[in-house]
Amino acid sequence: MAERHRVLMVSDFFYPNFGGVENHIYYLSQCLLELGHKVVVMTHAYGNRSGVRYMTRGLKVYYIPWRPFFLQNTFPTIYGTLPIIRTILIREGISIVHGHQAFSTLCHEALMHARTMGYRVVFTDHSLYGFADVGSIHMNKVLQFTLADVSQAICVSHTSKENTVLRSGLPPEKVFVIPNAVDTAMFTPAPKRSRTDEIIIVVISRLVYRKGADLLVEVIPEVCRLYPHVRFIIGGDGPKRVRLEEMREKHFLQDRVEMLGAVPHARVRSVLISGHIFLNSSLTEAFCIAILEAASCGLLTVSTRVGGVPEVLPDDMIVLAKPDPLDMVHAIKKAISILPMIDPQEMHNRMKQLYDWHDVARRTESVYDRAMNCPDQTLLERLPRYLSCGSWAGKLFCLVMIIDFLLWCLLKVVQPAADIEAVPDSATTHHQSGLDFTDTILFPLDPIGSFLFWVYRKDQKLARRKPCRMTNNMSDTA
Amino acid sequence: MSAVKQNENPVSDSKYTYIHDLKYPAQAVDAHHIEVQGRGAKGIVLSILIAIICSHYFCTVLPKVQSSSYPLLCLLFGALLMKLFGRRRVVRESVVIMPTLGVQLETLCKSGKTIRRFVPADVILKPVLQECVTPVACYWNLSLLLRGEEELTLVFKEVRPPLKILIPIWKALCAVSGSCAGEPDSSMR
Repeated sequence: MAERHRVLMVSDFFYPNFGGVENHIYYLSQCLLELGHKVVVMTHAYGNRSGVRYMTRGLKVYYIPWRPFFLQNTFPTIYGTLPIIRTILIREGISIVHGHQAFSTLCHEALMHARTMGYRVVFTDHSLYGFADVGSIHMNKVLQFTLADVSQAICVSHTSKENTVLRSGLPPEKVFVIPNAVDTAMFTPAPKRSRTDEIIIVVISRLVYRKGADLLVEVIPEVCRLYPHVRFIIGGDGPKRVRLEEMREKHFLQDRVEMLGAVPHARVRSVLISGHIFLNSSLTEAFCIAILEAASCGLLTVSTRVGGVPEVLPDDMIVLAKPDPLDMVHAIKKAISILPMIDPQEMHNRMKQLYDWHDVARRTESVYDRAMNCPDQTLLERLPRYLSCGSWAGKLFCLVMIIDFLLWCLLKVVQPAADIEAVPDSATTHHQSGLDFTDTILFPLDPIGSFLFWVYRKDQKLARRKPCRMTNNMSDTA
Repeated sequence: MSAVKQNENPVSDSKYTYIHDLKYPAQAVDAHHIEVQGRGAKGIVLSILIAIICSHYFCTVLPKVQSSSYPLLCLLFGALLMKLFGRRRVVRESVVIMPTLGVQLETLCKSGKTIRRFVPADVILKPVLQECVTPVACYWNLSLLLRGEEELTLVFKEVRPPLKILIPIWKALCAVSGSCAGEPDSSMR
């Protein structure tokens, strides 16, 4: 029987946020639970959502009461999260820490502390980053530090692997490519499409620069001019929404361009099946789950040829274009011409064969097995890896790790591991246990915690809510 | 303090001792006590450390404070902190269950002061065990869900006993509220 792993997924990005990283963590966790492993998720608190929550199949989530300070990221304190991470690792009996997303400060801190305490760590990179700008240079240095001592790494595409290896200096043999997947049971084609001559092009993305919203401003009026029977449906919100609305006003396209605003994840499928073509204009994408969802719903995809997008779909399901307005218009023209040959149900069936979260979980399980086979190493054996990060940076990283080690030793004296009691392994049957899993309350009983940080006091009205129920989708209800 | 007739095997760990008072029949009065083990040395060391740090800060940052007053400042801060910690130091917290009447929650401080709160039985909806999370720690706690109150009522305000100590008290409170959902898992006994 395969070894049962006890995994702690760490990231700043999780439910109630919706996105590629959030979806990945959730679906991967669910499939790993189904394979018999124990999975716990750790993220920061979202507003009043703080403490311990349980999601479908007993997925336990720790919402640590650390307020996010920039783009949903926890404030980086380097050593501040050591006590709570140590507590969670011991009480849950964790064997592997799996961090997600290079832009997550909580992930980096958790991986650093986990390595100090001798746990195996795995890192998954979900995005592509540059090399030239100031932000990327600093981010890459932080990544180099974190990945200097990681057990294994996972990337979502070969392009992403190349990008991660170049940025972090990680040996390529330590990096595995495991693509994302799509919930094909949720994203199914429309049972019957109404016969009209109208062609509907759907765009669902955040309306930000990175997602190519400026390209849409150029492309949509041209396509509407060339094809009077084409309509657009745009779902999503963001700072570029104003530009799109101005474009709509300027070219009198109010009846041909419909803007839905932010679309809840549960409604994405209903928007997709109202269209024939899915348009993705991202300027950079490591993978792009959105086009998987569109293909699963039977839509032909038109996308920019950037990052890992060419690796995602077969050539007959996607028309690629350069991130240039003219080229994209030609791509849409080509897509319209081949649209009659597309069978949505056949496309959906092929997607079911190609992408499956259970397959992702099995491959991730293999990575965990390899990580567990890595030898134990002392601090002195690990320090040379940090020294190789740079002439000055290497010494700084070594100092950071030495201080982390000393703080860990101090914590072992102040709060011995024997004083941290293990949590019973009853997550999947907790409703039979007699324990009432209500939302948790935070108390400023810890003087250091409440002095240094902003302690969340739970909304007292939530105390009257019913306990969390098991649901079949990614939202826990109460 | 009245003599307490204990059960045969009081449950204890490094910080707390759980005593189930069997002096009276359980149908009349069911008392559960949690006594705090001596932690005086740790508190004293911590107070001294903080006092030294604060004194050093004042001597360094404030130009008018002379370095000769450094020992005096240490003593002052140390005495203040020990008085603060000592005053709040809890010796014992108790839950006295009177099935026909209600539940009395008691906190006995080192100074001799006892804080009591009585909760009528008809107001208790359910006792709940829950995991509490702070920015630096995570622990179990026992609370009461009360009719007409939006806030949960903590059974133990000052102490943080482990789950193995909380479970028998939780079971006893379930009996009062009549809200037992079933036996806990064996892994939690």
